[in-house]
Amino acid sequence: MKTKSILTLIASLAVATLWAIDVPPVGSNAPDFSLTDAVGKTHSLSQYKGKYVVLEWFNPECPFVKKHYGSGNMQKLQEEYTGKGVVWLTIDSNAPDTEGNITPEQAQKIMSGWKTHQTALLLDPESKVARSYGAKNTPNMVIISPEGKIVYEGAIDSKPTPNPNDIPNSTNYVKAALDESLAGRPISNAQTKPYGCSVKYKSS
Amino acid sequence: MKPAPGSVFRLAICLSILGFLGRAEAQVYQGKELVKAELLADTNAIVPGKNFTVGLLLRMAPGWHTYWKAPGDAGLPTELKWNLPPGLRTIGGLQWPIPLKTNDPGDIQTYGYEDEVFLTQEIRPGAKIDDSRLTLSAEANWLVCEKICIPGSANLQMELPVSTTSASANAELFARYRQLLAQNWPDSKTATANWSRANSELRLKVTSATLSKYPAVDFYPIPPENAIIGHPQIGARAPGEVSFRIPVESPKTLSAIPGLLVFAERPNGTDRAAWELELPTVAPPRVLGHARRVISFLFFGFIGGFILNLMPCVLPVISLKIFGFIQQAGQSRQKILRSGVAFAAGIFAWFTALALVLIGLKIAGRDVTWGGFQFTNPYFVLLLSVIVLVFALNLFGVFEIALPQRLSRGLLASSERKDDLGSFFQGMFATVLATPCTAPFLGTALGFAFTQSPAVILSMFLVIAAGMSAPYLLLCAQPAWLRFLPQPGRWMLRLKEVMGFLLLATLLFLLYVLGAQRGVAGLIWASCFLLIVSVVCWMKGAFLTPGAPAKTRLIAAITMSILLVLSGVYFIDKQFRATRYAAKEVRLQGDWQAFTPERLQAELNQHHPVFVDFTAAWCLTCKFNEQSVLENPVVRAAFQRHGVTKMKADWTNGDPQITKLLQQFRRPGVPLYVLYSGRSDKPIVFPELLTKGIVLEKLETLSASVVAK
Repeated sequence: MKTKSILTLIASLAVATLWAIDVPPVGSNAPDFSLTDAVGKTHSLSQYKGKYVVLEWFNPECPFVKKHYGSGNMQKLQEEYTGKGVVWLTIDSNAPDTEGNITPEQAQKIMSGWKTHQTALLLDPESKVARSYGAKNTPNMVIISPEGKIVYEGAIDSKPTPNPNDIPNSTNYVKAALDESLAGRPISNAQTKPYGCSVKYKSS
Repeated sequence: MKPAPGSVFRLAICLSILGFLGRAEAQVYQGKELVKAELLADTNAIVPGKNFTVGLLLRMAPGWHTYWKAPGDAGLPTELKWNLPPGLRTIGGLQWPIPLKTNDPGDIQTYGYEDEVFLTQEIRPGAKIDDSRLTLSAEANWLVCEKICIPGSANLQMELPVSTTSASANAELFARYRQLLAQNWPDSKTATANWSRANSELRLKVTSATLSKYPAVDFYPIPPENAIIGHPQIGARAPGEVSFRIPVESPKTLSAIPGLLVFAERPNGTDRAAWELELPTVAPPRVLGHARRVISFLFFGFIGGFILNLMPCVLPVISLKIFGFIQQAGQSRQKILRSGVAFAAGIFAWFTALALVLIGLKIAGRDVTWGGFQFTNPYFVLLLSVIVLVFALNLFGVFEIALPQRLSRGLLASSERKDDLGSFFQGMFATVLATPCTAPFLGTALGFAFTQSPAVILSMFLVIAAGMSAPYLLLCAQPAWLRFLPQPGRWMLRLKEVMGFLLLATLLFLLYVLGAQRGVAGLIWASCFLLIVSVVCWMKGAFLTPGAPAKTRLIAAITMSILLVLSGVYFIDKQFRATRYAAKEVRLQGDWQAFTPERLQAELNQHHPVFVDFTAAWCLTCKFNEQSVLENPVVRAAFQRHGVTKMKADWTNGDPQITKLLQQFRRPGVPLYVLYSGRSDKPIVFPELLTKGIVLEKLETLSASVVAK
């Protein structure tokens, strides 16, 4: 019995170490995943190969997320770039019984209530996808190229505050990176420091 | 029971008075009080001239926390914006207690405070305060989190009486939190920190016997803006040694990270203490012992001070002084000695004053830099222009400061003293003019001094003063040498006038600086003022003479004052002040780009080599280097061949972003030349005096290593 608990300890330490180093850097292959959305439909990253994909980590309770939805900033970005053929996947990776975890019904309500325009709002209650991307914040933004490489990761913009009044005076890194990518130019700011609430992983 | 109307009224008065004494504001969320915010002072009254401390006390509901200035993976630092009444100003920044480190699931590390935190700020009252009470206001913003995060804010006020005496207040609270402040990094005998780089991670090795006593040692990084770093991992812990590995995502050029070395009985223990690790010196490896290094740099300071005498900007004044010596050649030895000592005293006085100001600024945490900190200020340049012009007019004989007949007699003790005072101011003036000519030696020596204690800074300045005054003191000690100088005569008058033209040439240089700072409009308005100053000088010579009738003198004095005040108000305060800083791009020629940190980063991200020229309009060494080396056709072609992007960082107006970078390179001012290879290795720093050979050679190494790769 004792041996078993020691083994468990060692195993969990090993897993913790793996998490610590398993942040895929910009330029590496984007880890594939498969998640269900608010209406139960399955989306996998591989099915969108050939298109630019935006991943947006989400928590409806987080003031930093509310900053961008309350002001309509996020919806506008989603509408603009899905209109240009970009796939926009919003992911809620908060574990059950934590703030920000949502059921499919709640997800549908948020999408219609907040008038969002993403391709799909995906549910990741086991935080598997967050873990494989090393996502620590909401919002945390990742852009994946048509070849399946990570080309941008980091913050949505340059002002790390929960105050919506800061949006007009900030540089939107995601918009800049998408505009540059779609124009076939290299991304000048490919990695920035993400800001916001923490992703609520399941406590182990 | 219903209270009587009178008691309600009294209660209201009591409440309103209590409110002024520092009202607590509460952040309420869904009926629950999350944070209570309050301002508290360590004194019951403000005493003019006596510093005191005010703090923001945040009390959080159980389980809720706020964040440190470097919050880690999530969260937001608490912010405090002061709105202080005239007469009060802040000293240094907000002081943060050593935070608690929290690990959340998913490898999320944050730094913050639970239950309560007290952020303190030192305040300095002016020497004279007219009000009997002062109100300090501040806007506090914070993010408080438990499972979710809620932003909170409060507009806080505190009123304190102004008095000649005060008693301490809230002593227990202030003492408790003073214990929790990080200390400065100790001397090198107690602890040393070494940074090294291995691939994409930075390694910090701390050697200190003190740390062996503490089971829990950790490093809390304060990453620079835009830096993306991973979590510090404790590597090996040997007795008296601990090392950390910190993964660095970007920028690749990062060579060290400031932060706190925290040690305690156990992690997050209430006994926790910390040493603050600032950016390390990029200085050469420790070949010499510290004391020997200080001595060798003091020696350079002395040489540099001596060389200052030969700088073009000081030469005219120095010539004045030598001229004075010639005049004195026939006079008593004692008188010569006194005049020489007075001149040296002037030099010492200025350098001492400068040292004290710089030490004060450094202690107050302001950006401190040498050559520029005066010359980046257009009003300083303007003032200098006025002084130079007045001196020149004086040399031309437009007006006299002292009475010629009395001077020639030189008998009265009082006029002798006046003479000494003149020598004293000449000494000071010579030194002021020397400032922009940071000679190569001096730059190195001062750059070193700024990384040192106030005592070293002061001794450095004194040594420079000694170097600069050495020739005069020598002549005074050996006045016999003055014999070799020619006899006084009519030629002295002519020489004086020639010196006047030299001063006018200096004025041209100063006006060029003003033009660079404020454009043609600023230059013209300043010149208008200078014109009025000359008219006033002429009036002084023509009407305000000792022989003129009292009435004429009075009218002249009044007219002169009115002219000065009116032109000062109109030309300077109204017109000159309204002129804009000259656009930087205008001065850029050829293939140079204006430097911005973002532009540099963008080029480096694309692995382009970049050469940055830190320069300023008033920096003669810079101009010389640019004309003779950087703009040389061979050098230009070499830059082009190696595909180097050239950027000019123009520090004429003291751009704070550039100041910050100069400090990173441990330089007190310009010139500074840096070549980034575009790879992760350290940038190459050039010497302050460039030669074609040096630049071409460094450019060759650049491409050689590219090929090798």
